[in-house]
Amino acid sequence: MSWLDAARTRARLVLSPRASETRTDEEFRFHLDMETDRLVREAGVSHDEARRRALATFGGVHNHRESMRDGRGTAWFSGLSLDLKLGFRMLVKYPGLTLIGGLAMAFGIWFGAVTFQMFGMITTTKLPLPSGERIVRVEVWDSKALDEEDRTLYDYQLWRSARSLTDLGAYRDVGANLVGADGGAKPEKAAEITASAFRIARDRPLLGRVLDESDERAGAAPVVLLGHDVWVERFDRDPRIVGRNVQIGNGFATVVGVMPEGYAFPMSHELWLPLRTDVPGLEPLRGGAITVFGRLAPGMTFESAQAEFTALGRRLAAEHPTTHAQLQPHVLPYTQFSVNDTDMKAMMGLTYFFVVALMVIVCSTVALLLFARAATRETEILVRSALGASRRRIVAQLFAEALVLAGVATVVGLAAAQLTLSVWGKPYLEMGWGTQLPFWVDFNLSPTSIGYALALAVIGAVVAGVMPARKITRGLGTRLRAGTAGGGVSFGGVWTAVIVVQIALTVMFPSVVMLVRSESRRIASYDAGFPTQEYLGVTLGVEDGQEETLTPETRAALGIRIRTSLEALRTRLEAEPGVAGVTFVDALPGDSHDALRAEVVSLPEIRPRWVAIASADLSYFDVLKAPVLSGRAFSRADLAPNIRVVVVDQGFVDLVMAGRNPVGHRVRLGTGQAADSNAASLPVYEIVGVVKELGMASAAMPQREAGVYLPAVPGSHGSLKMIVRGRADSLSIAPRVRELAMVVDPAIRVEQITRLDQVTTPLLWLLGLWTKIIIGLTAVALVLSLAGIYAVLSYTVARRTREIGVRVALGASARRVITSVFKRPLTQVTLGVIAGIVLIVLAATAAGKSTQFRGTGVGVLTLGDAALLVGYAILMVGVCTLACVVPTLRALRVQPTEALRTE
Amino acid sequence: MHGWGISQRVQQISDGGLELNQGSLYPALQRLEKDGLITSEWGTTDNNRRARYYRITASGRKALGDELESWRRFAAGLEAVLRTS
Repeated sequence: MSWLDAARTRARLVLSPRASETRTDEEFRFHLDMETDRLVREAGVSHDEARRRALATFGGVHNHRESMRDGRGTAWFSGLSLDLKLGFRMLVKYPGLTLIGGLAMAFGIWFGAVTFQMFGMITTTKLPLPSGERIVRVEVWDSKALDEEDRTLYDYQLWRSARSLTDLGAYRDVGANLVGADGGAKPEKAAEITASAFRIARDRPLLGRVLDESDERAGAAPVVLLGHDVWVERFDRDPRIVGRNVQIGNGFATVVGVMPEGYAFPMSHELWLPLRTDVPGLEPLRGGAITVFGRLAPGMTFESAQAEFTALGRRLAAEHPTTHAQLQPHVLPYTQFSVNDTDMKAMMGLTYFFVVALMVIVCSTVALLLFARAATRETEILVRSALGASRRRIVAQLFAEALVLAGVATVVGLAAAQLTLSVWGKPYLEMGWGTQLPFWVDFNLSPTSIGYALALAVIGAVVAGVMPARKITRGLGTRLRAGTAGGGVSFGGVWTAVIVVQIALTVMFPSVVMLVRSESRRIASYDAGFPTQEYLGVTLGVEDGQEETLTPETRAALGIRIRTSLEALRTRLEAEPGVAGVTFVDALPGDSHDALRAEVVSLPEIRPRWVAIASADLSYFDVLKAPVLSGRAFSRADLAPNIRVVVVDQGFVDLVMAGRNPVGHRVRLGTGQAADSNAASLPVYEIVGVVKELGMASAAMPQREAGVYLPAVPGSHGSLKMIVRGRADSLSIAPRVRELAMVVDPAIRVEQITRLDQVTTPLLWLLGLWTKIIIGLTAVALVLSLAGIYAVLSYTVARRTREIGVRVALGASARRVITSVFKRPLTQVTLGVIAGIVLIVLAATAAGKSTQFRGTGVGVLTLGDAALLVGYAILMVGVCTLACVVPTLRALRVQPTEALRTE
Repeated sequence: MHGWGISQRVQQISDGGLELNQGSLYPALQRLEKDGLITSEWGTTDNNRRARYYRITASGRKALGDELESWRRFAAGLEAVLRTS
């Protein structure tokens, strides 16, 4: 195929220039030798004479060799390498521009690389496992509830017959209070998992064996597989750990093996227990939540697997229409957590666009600086043009200089990005994830992220290099013919727009910083209504066995056991000298609470409203030292099954009852969904008391909440939090809480202990990080604005030296000189400041209308805010004017006689 | 055929009428090879010298045919004009 030969030839000419040169020399030598021999033979001349004639007939050997080189198509390459060398020299010759422009571009690249890497980590479909892209998860979508249905143990039995997936398995997260070698109990991230998981990941154990199918059978001895970190930290790397019995909660299990460092499949797990899936008598939608995974069988695709599972879903819907009619299985990449990820894709696209826009804005200002620099080299450019350099060649040279600057900026930007990801990336993502990160999240810059950064650098170089180059080389020919050198280049509308935009952003960013800081202050000063520093918030977990194996009797017995254990824990803690009180609730003050729609049935004129709900122990208000403002607190009689009472807070009184005393009124609580259409079936509660506001509103939200408390027995409702009041330093009680929990019932897991005034610490950390980033953005924008104004004004003064000299010679005062020089930059700065203020007003108005800040006063500009804005605007004008000082002084020092001598 | 051979053949066929600047043949051969119209490979001559042999490709033949056709049309047109003048 001749096109293949042609491609091969071209590749060889470009990639092997030395071989091509050697071949050319050999061919030329052969030709000259043959011609020499022919002349000796046919013309009968001497060898030297024949050689001379052969060379003459051949033509200039050197010229033909050059033609061959040009013909290879690599001339551009040697030209580029020369331009790059010149570019490096320019960096050294203009250190100010290098520093400012380079740092600005580095900032843009840093931001882009970090954002791209973070999004890539969240949305990647590749697992660092053999054939990782073929590992899938199967999720079921409930089209009626518009949510995922994860009670799929029954469905899993049928799915095992699927041909499109191999090594189908399942896991569920379980709490495991592991007792270590020191006798202390600590919860570890554990999974009950099928043995097929270890064929998916294929890692060999460090010690012993992995779980196998025999461990899953009914009646099999309980076993456990340890993770590497657990083995090191909890068992001191005991080489004889395999075969030992370890205590997990109330039970014991034999260690069968230890996994190697870094192994954490299915997510971020450190302990693996067998999952029994063949539960006899299992019914649809019975059992706890499980996650199903597998690998695409050889030759199968996502589409074929989806088709098979859709058919399986239809079969289940036909067999069990009441439970499965609205359920649809989906086969997804393992790393994709949601069936609906279109929102995430939209957010990613928007963010990448923002990053490119940021790069364009930053590099436009760098372009301004490079243009000012290039404008001072106009004479050099004209001479090059006169010597035969095409416009394309000169633009290529200036582009190469910008590319060198962008290259240096890329190295700095990528180094900063890697440092940011290593130090701040993990805590930032863990805050958003709410738990440990999955094992596939890697904070090292991926080749794709580096490629994205390089692409940004090229875009930056094009904006910063090509744009000013094209402007400065416009009309070169005309200027050459007219004999004008210098004075032919001016800063037009585009550059004015660049400076105005830059200054507008410099004015706007600090207002964002002010908003973020005001939010931080508000959150830091959050008042929960009681002295939170005296209280510990303890998140508890309780092992409750496999849901699908529980009968009503065992479930009731388990409930009694949990309640008894919690009461025993409370008794033991209250006996401690450092403890002043213990109570239980389902959500800590300051955290987000569940919400229900409340309708005051005895006052139909009051509109229903969403209220925050908490299920609280009878002692809750006593322990928090919250006096009852009206009515009474809870009593033991309120726990009777046929009694429905609630206590509300002052927020409910003000926001729902409009100040009326709510005691004695009845309120209906519902979920607000379609199922509530039959109002009569919803529970109605009598309001028996009113307390002050005790942190029902989340610290993160600025709005006030109406709170409703329901009486509850500890352990009878989902989430379980214990609040411990300390007599002195509440944190000193924390170790004792863990010890006593272990003593009372090893099945009680102490998952987290926080002092209640530190609930907002992670959020404040996040806001602090964003404040630093925006301050960085502001600093970059400000420095670029000042540099841009300085560069443009310096060039203008230099260009107008003769004109200024003439004006001064004709009697112009210093004031007139300053006015003529100052007018344009001052106009640009003023326009920029006005644009910035307009942006602030628009942004504030939009923020005030948003869900987050509606009704909170954010976005409403007070007289004080307006005065602050005006003051800030004046400050910005003053700061930008500073950039004009040096060039203006230079203009004032122009001596007419010297200026008139200047050509 | 090798490059020197091509230059000798051209001279021979044109009976000395076409005097090629011999060295300029090689850039032309390189261009034709880059475009896939000819291929080349090293070989040994009768007198045991290493030489680069060139051969026309299928697309080269097609291109040659097109160029010949184009040349003939041009020559015929030119002759027609000259005949009438």
